[in-house]
Amino acid sequence: MSFLKTSQIKSPWLMHFDCGSCNGCDIETLACLTPVYDVERFGIINVGNPRHADVLVVTGTVNPRNAQILKNIYSQMPDPKLVIAVGACGCSGGVFRDAPNVLGGVDKVIPVDVYVPGCPAKPEAIMDAVVTGLGKLKGILEAS
Amino acid sequence: MNLTTFYLAVAGLILAPLLGGLVAGVDRVVTARLQSRMGPPLMQPFYDVGKLWSKVIPPASNWQGLFVRWALVASLASDVLLAAGADVLMCFFVQAASASFVALGAFCGSSPYSKLGAQRELFQLLAYEPVFLVAILCMAKVSGAFDAYSFMNASAQPLLFKMPLIVPGLLFVVLVKLRKSPFDISASHHMHQEVVRGVYTDYAGRDFALLEIAHWADVVVVLWICSFLWATSVVSMVATAAVFLFAALVIDNVSARLTWRHMLKVVAPISLVLATANLLWLYME
Amino acid sequence: MLDAYIGVLVLWPLVAGIACLVLRSPGLRSALVLATGAALAVGALGVATQAPFIANPGFLSSETALHIAEGASIVLPAYFLVRGLMAKHALVSVLAIAQLALAAYGIMGMPAPAATQNAVSCDGLSLALVLVVSFAGSLICIFALPYMKHHEEHLHLKVSKQPGFFLILLAFLGFMNGLAMSNDLRVFAAFFEATTLCSFLLIGHDKTEEANKSAFRALWMNILGGIFLHGGILLIQKQSGMVDLQQVVNPAMWAGASMLPVALLALAGCVKAAQMPFQTWLLGAMVAPTPVSALLHSSTMVKVGVFVCLRLAPVMQGTTTGRVLTLVGAFTFFATSALALGQSNAKKVLAYSTMANLGLIIACAGIGTPVAVAAGIVLLVIHAATKGLLFLCVGDMEQTVGSRDLEDLRGIVAISPVTALAAAAGAMAMILPPLGMLVGKWAALEAAAASPVSMVLMALGSALGVVCWVRFAGTIMSGKSIESRNAHSSALTSTPILALLAGAVGLGMAAPWLNALLIPGAGFATALAGGWGLLPSLFVLAMLAWIIGMKSLSRQSSVQLSSPYIGGLPSAEKGTYIGPLGRNWALSEGNEYAIEIFGESKLSKFAGVLAGALLLALVGGAII
Repeated sequence: MSFLKTSQIKSPWLMHFDCGSCNGCDIETLACLTPVYDVERFGIINVGNPRHADVLVVTGTVNPRNAQILKNIYSQMPDPKLVIAVGACGCSGGVFRDAPNVLGGVDKVIPVDVYVPGCPAKPEAIMDAVVTGLGKLKGILEAS
Repeated sequence: MNLTTFYLAVAGLILAPLLGGLVAGVDRVVTARLQSRMGPPLMQPFYDVGKLWSKVIPPASNWQGLFVRWALVASLASDVLLAAGADVLMCFFVQAASASFVALGAFCGSSPYSKLGAQRELFQLLAYEPVFLVAILCMAKVSGAFDAYSFMNASAQPLLFKMPLIVPGLLFVVLVKLRKSPFDISASHHMHQEVVRGVYTDYAGRDFALLEIAHWADVVVVLWICSFLWATSVVSMVATAAVFLFAALVIDNVSARLTWRHMLKVVAPISLVLATANLLWLYME
Repeated sequence: MLDAYIGVLVLWPLVAGIACLVLRSPGLRSALVLATGAALAVGALGVATQAPFIANPGFLSSETALHIAEGASIVLPAYFLVRGLMAKHALVSVLAIAQLALAAYGIMGMPAPAATQNAVSCDGLSLALVLVVSFAGSLICIFALPYMKHHEEHLHLKVSKQPGFFLILLAFLGFMNGLAMSNDLRVFAAFFEATTLCSFLLIGHDKTEEANKSAFRALWMNILGGIFLHGGILLIQKQSGMVDLQQVVNPAMWAGASMLPVALLALAGCVKAAQMPFQTWLLGAMVAPTPVSALLHSSTMVKVGVFVCLRLAPVMQGTTTGRVLTLVGAFTFFATSALALGQSNAKKVLAYSTMANLGLIIACAGIGTPVAVAAGIVLLVIHAATKGLLFLCVGDMEQTVGSRDLEDLRGIVAISPVTALAAAAGAMAMILPPLGMLVGKWAALEAAAASPVSMVLMALGSALGVVCWVRFAGTIMSGKSIESRNAHSSALTSTPILALLAGAVGLGMAAPWLNALLIPGAGFATALAGGWGLLPSLFVLAMLAWIIGMKSLSRQSSVQLSSPYIGGLPSAEKGTYIGPLGRNWALSEGNEYAIEIFGESKLSKFAGVLAGALLLALVGGAII
């Protein structure tokens, strides 16, 4: 693979969006950045700007108010992009999926590449999801 | 201009950004180790730029591509000027031009964060520019000329012994130019940032990759000028630059909550007064 | 031929001005102003081919000139006195009486000095001023034609005041050319007073209360400057019995003599150039219509002040007076640059920046070495073009938007792209290498090697200037796309703007050659150590950057832009975001002016006191 394609896999910049999480999954996501887990080993950086991000990590359920925001942020990310739904709520809406103000999981609004189950999801699982997503990206890049 | 100067200039043009990328890699590894993390591979900055280059994204403004390219040319030009042994003061002005282009491009952006970043970037410019200039003036006073080669061959004794008081000022400049502190300018890779990514918010994709290369070139210029303090040999110059880099990383890790107002009102005046005192002292001698 | 050129430069504008007053037709007026511009351009180029020279034109021998000057030195203060008494302005009256007394003493009480052989002398410095007046000045007068029409429509005047306005404006050009080339100090002083008169009349042109107040403030300060000038000239007469400028600026004449007259002349220059603490008159002058601000208060009249100082530079080199003057200039450069940063009024930003650059030129004059003087002259010429351009742009944008506040000019590039881009380019020409203003600043910094404190002040002022101008350009360019509707504009508005833009950038690029042209013979002595030689390669780089940038611009100018990043909340409507209650809320933006640091209220007083002390030291040092 060319240097440019390799670097796309070696430098996934990650944007974390809290859709409506109880903060459990958020704390686990941030824990990935601490010295214990240190995701920067994989070149992952937590950025605050969709225009710089390659991977969108979404925690929590989607509701009518934030669905538009999620869509906007997703559309502002440059292609190719990955979406990772973290936690039971992100995957399916979790225990809230039948609530009247909840649309459900992230995949109701934007396409999701990797699902991370758990309530909350473990940091190891989140990191594993990013690496899995990168494998998927590698497949796409090799095919192109 | 003779042929040697030309070769040196070309070497500066090619090597400076590469070296700058390496410095950025070292920076990230050392920072990680200081925080007892493992950190990314040394080549990570190159991967980042490669990735940004391959991303296609609509620009936030029609003007940004223009300003990004001007900034890149100015940054590389300042390296070339240094390598060719030209006037250091002019090299400084060219480098400042690059910073102004980055801010101008951010002003043209559409995001309010980008404009906020541009404002703060300008105040940052205001804080470090005079200190940097006075430091260069100190060096010029001792070496009796303004060109880079005179700085390097100024005397058998390292310049540092004649200008210890400009060291805090230069450290401050390195810290700012590495885009580490203050945290509310927020253009570094750090987690301790306040607003999105300030002046860089609206730059993305290929433009952003070019800007990153310009940033590397800037860092090399600043560290190069710092290394004039101990320019007895190439090894000592590299060592001096390394010491400045490491000191800046340590300072950044212990002062993660420096704000731009604090920088403008406290850090900049103190370091400027020290540097000025040093300049006056050189004149008294 | 030379006599004719000088006649055209000095007398033609006056004749054309009187014709404007008598024949009140607007069409004729336009034709006269355009003709004057052409005549001055021809005259200036004609003089430029002959410079340096000394001459004694047949129609204006040194005796005739002297008689006229002596008459003017009585008539002008008398007029000021009458105006002062009518307005019950005590300060103006007292100062005018003092000046009358000085003039009377000079004519009757002093033994006549050695007769001046030649009425006219023109060297590189004079030529610089003549070129500035003839080209930048003419362009601004042309710009004034549509501007004043619009201005009077706005004021709903019954009887047009334009004939008188253009009389003063055109006559002023002649006075300036005369001032630049006069060889007799007394004639010089008369022209100096005449520019004060023009300034007073033009600031008060709109007859509002504010205009009146500003006009009288400008008047008393400039009369004070005139008193310093007359005092200095009388002292020179007393010391050496000479008034011939060429001999007075010979350093040999001053060996062992008191420097007090030189200090007084420099002080007069500082007042005219609105150096701190005399900056208030120039700020007040900003109430005048924009062409007046551009012509008198940035491009030409204030240059008289720095012209005097640069004239005296050879005498001051290495003296205490020179060193103190360097500090005075450098301090004003620093302080006014800081004040400019705290301003949101675009015209005030320009005014403060004008003072700052004049301060830099005065610092160059104080240093007095050939390099410094060369830097000063380069700054003088290029500043005139650049600042003239900026004033015209701000004037035009003000008429488009109806406000001169920087916050109201935000994003104006979408409404009147030509003017706005010219303004942004002008702002960048103030600070970017390798353009002339930066080159001048650079040369000044390296020339100031003998004065560490001035160097630090210049470093500070330079950084402040960069911030101020990038913010100025950035605000104008802020956040809009290229395609847009075009605002009204006449060819008479856009031609001067584009010509001045070409001048500002072209002259900026040509700084090294300009230097060699204006100071022939001394070319090698004035070169920086390996300095100017660096510039051609920088121009090549700048060209390269231009080409690369323009390619990218043409590629990006047609693409679809991304939606703005506003935390995921951009709404379909431009400039709004989806806020509480699901409604669209307008985004508002503003610049950070850091008033608590750079605000006028505290900083002016503090800096004014310091600058006043420095000026006292200038005179005091010369007495001791």
